[in-house]
Amino acid sequence: MSEHRRQIFEMLSAGKITADEAERLISALEEPASTKSSPAESGSAGKNPPKYLRVQVDSEGDAGQEGPTKVNVRVPMQLLRAGVRLAGLLPAQALHRANHAMQEQGIPIDLSRIKAENLEELVEQLNDLSVDVDQKEAGTKVRVRVFCE
Amino acid sequence: MIPFVAVVSLRDQESRTFRLWIPLFLVWLLLLPLGIVLSPFIFIACLVCRVNPLRGVAVMWQILNALTDTELDVEHRSAGMSFHIL
Repeated sequence: MSEHRRQIFEMLSAGKITADEAERLISALEEPASTKSSPAESGSAGKNPPKYLRVQVDSEGDAGQEGPTKVNVRVPMQLLRAGVRLAGLLPAQALHRANHAMQEQGIPIDLSRIKAENLEELVEQLNDLSVDVDQKEAGTKVRVRVFCE
Repeated sequence: MIPFVAVVSLRDQESRTFRLWIPLFLVWLLLLPLGIVLSPFIFIACLVCRVNPLRGVAVMWQILNALTDTELDVEHRSAGMSFHIL
């Protein structure tokens, strides 16, 4: 075990950092090592396409009543692609109703104008997606992370 | 490859964990004859909805294949639940 890793575990056992923070520190430690070990991969070949879309929700809850809640969802990118293809099969009537419902909610998107190739492009662009949302309401802090890996 | 097993883990307040392995391949085996029996009705429904039935079947097959490695974890102080499709 490396010295840095040992220090992280000591801080974790001493309660100075949370398990999440320790995980992040360890992954940060591993990151440069993996890039050093395979310079060819990071060069002309480029980064590997992500395989999963991950959604993490951390809710800290109020002081001691609810306690923290963590939700972690991992969806394969292939499932997104297949879902996109399924959306392409929707009959025109269903699309019309979906458009109407979305416009009622203030989302001005015409689903009938989205073609399969556009959606494929959209899924491709998700590769670089990373959304972090921090919300602090009365006694509750919610953190939402959406990213590809 | 289509998923063969789903694992459901439940944790209660006393940190006891119950792990349930669901053999999905048995579900597929049971659903296969049902799908064959229902295929004429599915075909008619596709025609009514103006959807190419072959394309529909292909997309459903792709979705089934893509379900592998889907993961859902919910952790709370008092309970936890994990669902993993293998």
